[in-house]
Amino acid sequence: MILLQVLVGGLLLGAVYALFASGLTLIWGMMNFINFAHGEFVMLGMYVALVMTWIHAGPAAFGPAATVALFLLGVLVYLGLIKHVMRGPMLSQILSTFGLALLLRYSAFAYFKSDFRTLPDSWLTGTLGVGGIYIGKAQLLAGAIAGLLALGMHLLLTRSALGSRLLAVAEDRSAAMLMGIRPDRMQALAWGLSAASAGIAGALLATVYPFSPEVGQTFALTAFVVVALGGFGSVPGAMIAGIAIGLIEQAAAYSLGPIYKDVVVYGLFVAILWVRPQGLLGKL
Amino acid sequence: MLLETQDVSKAFGGFVALAEASLAVEAGEIVGLIGPNGAGKSTFFNCIAGDLAPSGGRIRFDGVDVTEEPPEARALRGIGRTFQVPATFEDMSILENVMVGAFLRHSQARDARTKAVEVLRLTGLEAQARQPARTLGTPGRKRLEIARVLATEPKLLLLDEALAGLTPAEIQSAIALVRKIHALGITIVIVEHIMEVILTLTARVLVFNQGRTIAQGRPQEVVSDPKVIEAYLGHQHGARGRRRR
Amino acid sequence: MSARWTPIALWAALLLFPIAVSTTDSAAFYQDVGANLILAAIAASAWNIVGGYAGQVSVGHAIFFGAGAYVPLVIYNLWPALPPLVGLPLGVVVAVLIAAGIGVPSFRLQGHYFSMATIAVAELVRLVVSNWDLLGAAIGIQGPATPRGWWDLIFRSSVPYYYIFLGVLALTLAITSGMERSRFGYYLRAIRAGERAARRLGVPVRRTQLKALMLSAAHTATAGSLYAFKLGFVNPESGLGILVSVQMIIVAALGGAGTLYGPLIGALILIPLQSATNTWFGGGGSGLTFILYGGIIVILARFEPGGLLELWRRLSARVARAA
Repeated sequence: MILLQVLVGGLLLGAVYALFASGLTLIWGMMNFINFAHGEFVMLGMYVALVMTWIHAGPAAFGPAATVALFLLGVLVYLGLIKHVMRGPMLSQILSTFGLALLLRYSAFAYFKSDFRTLPDSWLTGTLGVGGIYIGKAQLLAGAIAGLLALGMHLLLTRSALGSRLLAVAEDRSAAMLMGIRPDRMQALAWGLSAASAGIAGALLATVYPFSPEVGQTFALTAFVVVALGGFGSVPGAMIAGIAIGLIEQAAAYSLGPIYKDVVVYGLFVAILWVRPQGLLGKL
Repeated sequence: MLLETQDVSKAFGGFVALAEASLAVEAGEIVGLIGPNGAGKSTFFNCIAGDLAPSGGRIRFDGVDVTEEPPEARALRGIGRTFQVPATFEDMSILENVMVGAFLRHSQARDARTKAVEVLRLTGLEAQARQPARTLGTPGRKRLEIARVLATEPKLLLLDEALAGLTPAEIQSAIALVRKIHALGITIVIVEHIMEVILTLTARVLVFNQGRTIAQGRPQEVVSDPKVIEAYLGHQHGARGRRRR
Repeated sequence: MSARWTPIALWAALLLFPIAVSTTDSAAFYQDVGANLILAAIAASAWNIVGGYAGQVSVGHAIFFGAGAYVPLVIYNLWPALPPLVGLPLGVVVAVLIAAGIGVPSFRLQGHYFSMATIAVAELVRLVVSNWDLLGAAIGIQGPATPRGWWDLIFRSSVPYYYIFLGVLALTLAITSGMERSRFGYYLRAIRAGERAARRLGVPVRRTQLKALMLSAAHTATAGSLYAFKLGFVNPESGLGILVSVQMIIVAALGGAGTLYGPLIGALILIPLQSATNTWFGGGGSGLTFILYGGIIVILARFEPGGLLELWRRLSARVARAA
């Protein structure tokens, strides 16, 4: 029974991982660029949820608010910063999002303080007993929504006209330009989508776990592992890998304790980087 | 026999870019490779230079099978090549660019510099030695590209459309440079579209079309070979050529 | 001011600094900042070899710093009769071995992916060390409490540290300068400017990058050891934390990555600035310091990737043209 509990917990958490990792891998696939501030986007999503509670909006508002706020932030970051550093040396590309991460993280520390917070009780509070195991209502909902959104993102990319334009830019920029697609616009959109996926994942996570500005770093590393495992630029890969990492993490936490769970995940990360850097579904 | 390729082929997925390319080059020759766009000439060059691993066939250089060797190793053996689009080290000076090449045979900076200056003199770039490479125009870059490779003291020099985009006057001086290089004892294989260059410089020409060699011989003979003419004409008129990768 | 005299003036100023401030009220404080500044310059200069000259942006250099910091103190804890100083060469060896170990698989990865890999490895090591009792786990380990002789390198004043660090900095920069003008240096620049073109000219890319990493690791470890001697203490956060890596990068990038004096210039500006914000804002200071860091890095990346030396070069060229 405990095993089933761990399994379900891992699946649900994994779905959230899949969601925000999809955003990260989208950018990587499109622009050969890793957003080192992605974890902070997740963290900001959590705080958007908090701010929503300050204005007494219900949990149903968290997701949409985080989506809009982070989408805008993503687009702004692209237009104001990323677009320009893309043409520059590698060092400035890497520094740009690193600096952004520091800026966001410590601004959050300054404004929200470092205490761990939880969201106030709402209709999400409480657990459900299903077949002998207990799942938090929030946990279940968060996982389900995340899973649907991740799937939705995949479908958007592969089945819609917009999606095919995005993928065209990822595949071959110059060819895309010749077809009348504006890479700049598509890239801005991709950044918006990527940030939004992180933001909404954060909002969902905030309903389940306590949070503080420092968790951004942990989520960033989680996102990296998932993306590395799933494969460069592959959203379906990120989805599968997200679930896998969620499961592995919960299993490791259960059998080895919370300290060693991190060691397992990062050990896995390093192993992937060295043994199969292209991940499960990616091409290097 | 300095260079010998046997049935070298290269396929990208289902697309066969090169099939059964066989070429034998003696030391001291100047050989030309011609053919319409997408015929496989650059692919062939890439295989010889080590930038591409052939799907089949073998390449022997100076008696050694080099098919598996990476570009760095082949440079050490004495195979040098230039690229159509020169990839100069933009922020380094022209002298420094050439020194990078010279360091292959001279481990001390002093000696590398001496060699580099010598090469700059040969290629007519000596006056601009201290300028950053990015200040050069296209003809200058092409010269620099050649100078860099020359500094590695190659036995075989592969020139990939080194004269494209030059004015007639520039072409003349480029031809003179190639002659000077040849006079140093370096074997040259040159890919070129400009017929005048092929006719004046080369003693032997290999014609490619759609990945295969269709003719070989003296330039004057090859140019009037009906198969060759058809390859060029057919390419102009008929179906659009395959996209060059 | 002639370009040739500037470095001489700089070194003269650095040599005289502790003496010059010794008559002021906060002499001890200034001298301490000075020592920290020089140490930061050493670490950043070490990073510069692989991050600036070779163009491989390692964000996990803390792993080498930590090796240099931990090994001497671990040696001391195991064999208290020995001075931690004997651990310095050993720390360097450990760091170089780690560099060899991670360099080989990591250099296959391109650009951002390489950087991500370095973060992952460094974080993994930090986690492992945090849970390893022999190394003090999360609490950390200490060196000798009181000096048994000069070789324990425990001084009450920051001034001896300052001069020792200055000597090491001079050595590091001398080695880097020699490297710049050698074949190795040219090859590094060529790889950074265009790997494919470099390969064609016979440059052994992987081997050269590996050498750069190992050289960088050795110097970084030395900086780590010096840190451990001065502070007498190291823990996973101060020795292996990501901020250690980030500081090295910012300091080098601010002055100008890939230049000889860039890291020193960066340190000259950033370390006093950091001290100032820490003291002005009190307890909340370190948080604001990082907001400042973040802001500086973003502005640097966006507007002047070449750092202050590049900015200076452009401005003086403009002034020269106007004159």
